[in-house]
Amino acid sequence: MLARVADNLFWMGRYIERSEHIARYLSVNYFSSLDAPNDLSQSRPFVLRSMLFMVGEPQADKSMDIIEEEVLFNIGLNPESAYSILNNVKNARENANSARDLISTGLYESINKFYHFIINYDPAVLVKNGLHDFTTNVTEMTAVLRGKIRGTLLHNEAYAIIMMGVNIERATQIIRMINAKYRDALEAQGSYGDKFSNSFEWTTLLKCAESYDMMRRLYKKPPNSISTLEFLILNPNCPRSIMNSLNQVYKHIRDLDTSKHYNKNATAFLVGKVRSEYEYKHIEEIEGDIQNFIEDILSRLVQISTKMEKEYFNY
Amino acid sequence: MTKIKNQIFSSYQRNPSLYDEIYDNDGNVKDVYKKLFDLYGEHSIDDYASLNVKARSSFFNQGITFQVYSKKKSQEKIFPFDLFPRIIDPKEWEFIERGAIQRSKALNLFLWDIYHEKKIIKQGLVPMELISSSGNYLHQMMGVDPPGDIYNHISGIDIIKHNDGNYYVLEDNIRCPSEVSYVICNRTALKRALFGVFNHYQTHTVTDYAENLLELLETTKPHGVDIPVCVVITPGMYNSAYYEHSYLAKTMGVELVEGRDLFVENDFVYMKTIRGPQKVDIIYRRIDDLFIDPLEFRPDSSLGVPGLFAAYKKGNVTIANAPGTGVADDKAVYTYMPEIIKYYLNEEPILNNVHTYHCSRPDELKYVLDNIHQLVIKPVDEAGGYGISIGNRLTKEEIEEVKKQVKSDPRRYVAQPIMSLSVHPTYIAKKESFEQRHVDLRVFTVLGKEKEFVLKGGLTRVALKKGNLIVNSSQGGGSKDTWVLKK
Repeated sequence: MLARVADNLFWMGRYIERSEHIARYLSVNYFSSLDAPNDLSQSRPFVLRSMLFMVGEPQADKSMDIIEEEVLFNIGLNPESAYSILNNVKNARENANSARDLISTGLYESINKFYHFIINYDPAVLVKNGLHDFTTNVTEMTAVLRGKIRGTLLHNEAYAIIMMGVNIERATQIIRMINAKYRDALEAQGSYGDKFSNSFEWTTLLKCAESYDMMRRLYKKPPNSISTLEFLILNPNCPRSIMNSLNQVYKHIRDLDTSKHYNKNATAFLVGKVRSEYEYKHIEEIEGDIQNFIEDILSRLVQISTKMEKEYFNY
Repeated sequence: MTKIKNQIFSSYQRNPSLYDEIYDNDGNVKDVYKKLFDLYGEHSIDDYASLNVKARSSFFNQGITFQVYSKKKSQEKIFPFDLFPRIIDPKEWEFIERGAIQRSKALNLFLWDIYHEKKIIKQGLVPMELISSSGNYLHQMMGVDPPGDIYNHISGIDIIKHNDGNYYVLEDNIRCPSEVSYVICNRTALKRALFGVFNHYQTHTVTDYAENLLELLETTKPHGVDIPVCVVITPGMYNSAYYEHSYLAKTMGVELVEGRDLFVENDFVYMKTIRGPQKVDIIYRRIDDLFIDPLEFRPDSSLGVPGLFAAYKKGNVTIANAPGTGVADDKAVYTYMPEIIKYYLNEEPILNNVHTYHCSRPDELKYVLDNIHQLVIKPVDEAGGYGISIGNRLTKEEIEEVKKQVKSDPRRYVAQPIMSLSVHPTYIAKKESFEQRHVDLRVFTVLGKEKEFVLKGGLTRVALKKGNLIVNSSQGGGSKDTWVLKK
């Protein structure tokens, strides 16, 4: 496979995954805030800031006035903002386009339909009453795409590269959500009846990661800070946990790099190292110093991505 | 004007002075079309309109589109496609096929000759200045032996039916003839929309183009290569024919590369893969001659591969079509095709040539200038239907303007009698009815080493504007599925 095309497929996977998490974050936060148990979690500017923080908008911190329509437009459909769902989908399609001979017609057709759905979505509708419709469509279409990737492509190197992109991105987005919600939980503590450890924000976080139901099933108790973080970070059976993503990345890099000898400069070596480190972590270590943990895992993910670029996409 | 009974054809107006592909002179539907005519007639025009919309959205969703750039933003459009197919009976097709192969072979021998001994020129059959003054002649190709001795692997010959009922060749496109992917897309779309009609006709498949193309390209592999690695090279995803490039690569199962994916080392070509360099033996290029190698041709080209031509000259890589092939699809060379066929093959031409006046010859120039109103004036070196003037459509002022242009550079122009392209019923969405529109036929031929292939179908192109004779997609043309019937 061409190195350039591999690079494009990797990013196609990342952009598809990214658009899903942003869409769900928007919708879950918006709708769960409507009847949130405390005043702050119910306040619209608080929720909108959380959205901006999650997508990495630098304006998020400033105490400037915040306009709901603008925020929803910027994150959803603004062609000028780099993080918008529109741009993510556009990038996913561009990347798919340059690998069009390699991927299945079915996958390309679905990406193309997704793209046309997004660019034809009326921004006025989105900011007025279309948020639920828009985000539901995005999350459903990304699920279709994942299905097409898995069900119609050869499970060869191209597949491994796409899946590495998907899983590195998934881990990254889950961490960004944890980061944003952790911050929200800190800020919201002390409001009426709400302590940090059993803040309402943990429920929201689980829903953002589409993991709330399964978490309840496993723990059979309302979520608190420890159980939520444990589930989303360390539980290898939760498909959206960091641990599961690292396991997936490891599995796929082994498909790509079949050498039996360890080469300490290989991407596979780095992935294996990070993965085993997290396998033997326990939640108390992390929970005590969550900020450091977030920075650490983000920088590890960047390292993996950069190494892949050097090893495989160098053209 | 005759009116015909049949629901969707009830408003079809037949102009008896035009050659209609489905009606004979007495207004009866021809035998091969009878069944189809009845089947389509069972639909109401509303049914038909909704099928038409569905077919269009299928094209759109599959991304079979081209970009239209306007001031504000670029827009994606689909190529207009007509759901009423054209049918060619087996006898007629057999004739077209033999004629197409004959021309491709003759052109290949002609190219070999003019890049080697130039016998045909020395014998005075074709004038030297015709070759040397052509913008597509590459002196770098002199004495170069292309692998497998093939120059024009891929040809797309444009054929029309005149109102005398005979086929004539308008052009032999042997540079990078495109649009073959639309043949296959049209068939797919028609099968999806109106699969029932296929039960009543034995139609040849068109989906075997890519496999034959790859097989024949592989027969022209460089010397000493066992299992050749073939790639398709594209200018990139913003090229208007990118869909076709990716389609061809996908269906051949080979890599679609850009210039930056390839490099040349010690006169061998390699592509950059995730496992390091891999040698490339055959390049089906969709980049024009002057852009393939900045070291040899245009130095500002970023689309090509530095050193590619040197590797080619050494015989280490096949380029299809060979560089310099364009010299033979010059419209002035076209006029010598009967002589070229006789000279190299010792055969009579199977397909007719349209009689052509060379403005470079003083007596013919005079005839052209005096008779512009009944001629088509064409620049010899333009493709895509650009620069063509049709005499009987011009105002007096325009005629004077054309005269001035021709006089200023006679070598650049040829003239032909105005051919009346046959017409075919075509659904016109705006009017929600079928109308007569002019059509031509592009036939795709592949030459390999001692082997050749003609795609049994080809692309029927339709001039969608009423009365228009120019069918090119860049000039608002559409297309039709084309059925070649089995014997």
